[in-house]
Amino acid sequence: MSTSDLADRPAPQGGPAAGPVLELRGLDKRFTGTHALKSVSLSFERGEIHAIVGENGAGKSTLIKLLTGVHLRSAGEILWEGRHVEMDGPHDALALGINAVHQEVVLCPHLTVAANLFLGDERVRFGLLKGREMLRVAQKVLADLGFSVPADAVLSTLTIGQQQLVATARAALRGTRFLIFDEPTAYLTRQEAAQLFALIRRLKAEGVTIVYISHRLEEVFELADRVSVLRDGALILTSRIGGIDEQALIRAMSNRSIEQIYHKEHMPPGAPLIETQGLTGKGFGDISVTVRRGEIVGLYGLIGAGRSEFVQSVFGRHRANAGHILWQGKPVAIRSEKRAIRLGIALVPESRRDQGLCLNLGVGLNLNLTIYDRLTRAFTINRGAEAAKADEQIGNLRIVTASRATRVASLSGGNQQKIVVGKWLNHGADLFIFDEPTAGVDVGTKLEIYRLFARLLQAGAGIILISSYLPEVYELADTLHVFRRGRLVASYGFKQASMEAILGDAIGV
Amino acid sequence: MSETVLPREATAKKPRAGLNLLLSLTLFGLLLLLWVALSVSTDTFLTARNIDNLMRQATIWAVIAIGQTFVIITAGIDLSVGVVLGFSGVVIALLLQAAVPLWLAIAITLLVGVAIGAFHAFGVIKLGLPPFIMTLATMTALRGIGLLMTNGSSISILNDSFTGFSRGSFAGIPNLFWMVILVAIPSYVFLHLSRWGRYLFAIGSNPEAARLSGVNVQAMLYVAYILSATFAAFAGILTSSRIGIGNATTGFGWELQSIAASVIGGASLFGAVGSIPGPLLGSILLTTINNGANLLNVNPFWQLIITGGLIIVIVYFDQLRRQKR
Repeated sequence: MSTSDLADRPAPQGGPAAGPVLELRGLDKRFTGTHALKSVSLSFERGEIHAIVGENGAGKSTLIKLLTGVHLRSAGEILWEGRHVEMDGPHDALALGINAVHQEVVLCPHLTVAANLFLGDERVRFGLLKGREMLRVAQKVLADLGFSVPADAVLSTLTIGQQQLVATARAALRGTRFLIFDEPTAYLTRQEAAQLFALIRRLKAEGVTIVYISHRLEEVFELADRVSVLRDGALILTSRIGGIDEQALIRAMSNRSIEQIYHKEHMPPGAPLIETQGLTGKGFGDISVTVRRGEIVGLYGLIGAGRSEFVQSVFGRHRANAGHILWQGKPVAIRSEKRAIRLGIALVPESRRDQGLCLNLGVGLNLNLTIYDRLTRAFTINRGAEAAKADEQIGNLRIVTASRATRVASLSGGNQQKIVVGKWLNHGADLFIFDEPTAGVDVGTKLEIYRLFARLLQAGAGIILISSYLPEVYELADTLHVFRRGRLVASYGFKQASMEAILGDAIGV
Repeated sequence: MSETVLPREATAKKPRAGLNLLLSLTLFGLLLLLWVALSVSTDTFLTARNIDNLMRQATIWAVIAIGQTFVIITAGIDLSVGVVLGFSGVVIALLLQAAVPLWLAIAITLLVGVAIGAFHAFGVIKLGLPPFIMTLATMTALRGIGLLMTNGSSISILNDSFTGFSRGSFAGIPNLFWMVILVAIPSYVFLHLSRWGRYLFAIGSNPEAARLSGVNVQAMLYVAYILSATFAAFAGILTSSRIGIGNATTGFGWELQSIAASVIGGASLFGAVGSIPGPLLGSILLTTINNGANLLNVNPFWQLIITGGLIIVIVYFDQLRRQKR
């Protein structure tokens, strides 16, 4: 954890002396009907890592878009090295050396690493590509960044984490002096994240200013020199990282304390809902787990440890090769999703965009997709009931949407997640499987999801909770199973082991 | 991205039904405008004979375009409908030549359509081929089969009740046009009022989400491709009734008419957007353009150019309208 005092830090060689590299004065942005950014004044020092945190809708995305010239500000001033700049297009930002690395990699997956690094800036002789030279330079850049990947590998053959590093290397190659990371670790494993952090620190040492946006506060404390909190478009505070703790940060972001967030109610566990006995399939082996009514069973492990594969098999997505499943004491074969749903199992999948939602269709259709057979009278849908069912969940889950016909793509991540859950509340189920339910949602929405867990448990349901965020499973799970490389390596009761011990089990030290 | 609450996106879409209605109305407005203009500029357009003729031709295109729309909504495409249409004409002509009873000949021809559609779905689902490739392949092969069966020549149909059907009319409306109504109304109920329609849209938007919600995605894809091919076979029967022959080259290129009619009617080739009134109006519009150009003595080569240009203009304005919403 860095606690370096900014005032004491020696100015990096080369650049002009003191003074912020970028300064925002009263930056303001209004869209029709919304005040997205309210007179934000903020300065970024040369070679600092400045974290910006806030809930969804706090204005972080708007801020990035103003800094990268995607949107034009409504009022206020942007100063680059003390001089006023217009910043009325992405070109302005690029010319100054401002660049952004996004959560989802925006590169060409079919081209090689080298081709991606040089894309738009290829080296040519007489109009022909100097392929071998670009390959050599690319390999050198990668090696310099401490990153061992062949430059002639096709990008899509790399992991998302490696692609993220390539995206960062691309920015580094272009003389970037101000680099914005927007939730770069959302899809990365721990090792990949560590590699990315090393790269970020290296860029910082070279005098590049880093803006780091993340929902993961532990990363902020690990990496940042200073942190700023946005809430409802306004700047709440800016602090050196040593001058603030996680509790204070959460309170600033959400106006709520941490105890209020992990809202845990212990219920006496009821009858067993599902028991797996030595279940074995692709990516996992010999898993025996029991879930009772009224309890949360947490599955913790690193990404790729086999948790998602295991629950998808329980949900009938992939067949298990060996082992048994008992549903309410009776052996069952779950051969399809339909069968799982009919038994009373609901899956809230890991990726709401790829697996959970029909993004370009309406809220209502998404909420009712599981129950159209019940909404059908004779041959046609009972439209009144269809509307009523959708409205019921919109009200119940407080989904913020203009109407039930609004396209899901236009809603925020938190509201989208509520729709995936609402689909199953509409249908009803006894066992709810949540695969990373709070990935990429803000503290406020997390709180609502955890409250929902409590409601489900009270109604007699059981929950399987998969999470890569240890504090979440630690604070919520009545029984915690740790996965490593497809095996169940440890099981604990509520807070029976320390977080360090659980992490050790997951990594295998 | 996790935080897209940007107000630019807060301009939510209007209810889908309302949107489609408005869109159809605008297309309908364009159609009326064309009709009025043609009535004024020619004496031949607004005659009973010409309107009859227009409705008959529109019928054939509307039926295949409606079938095509089911597939397009699932984010697929069916390039074979034109060839299936010609092939079905050959099949029914040969069956009638062999003195098979009319009802049985029609039933067998429709079943051939069902089989072709099922084969498409099999290729797309089980073999994992892109719909474009799968239907392109059957389009090519089926054309060859049709030509082989007929030796490249036309088969005459001597069944008078069959050929008489397309010339007749009922309640002042040509029999053929009644066939559009016979196809369009159940299609409308299926796509817009039944749960299977909702499933088709869901599959076009995100098949994995539909599957995890308990939708039988494979069965629904079979339904979409079978409907498309069967409607094409039905259109083939109607066409051979109209022209009195079965010829494997009939309908060549009409798959493009059907795609154009569907897209002019507001469908998106990316899936999850489309309606039944859309292709219906789209095919009437395309027919009117052809018909009008003939009456105005426009060089048929120019007709093709005009049609192409109009497709671009209409779809461009349609997209503009959507974005404003």
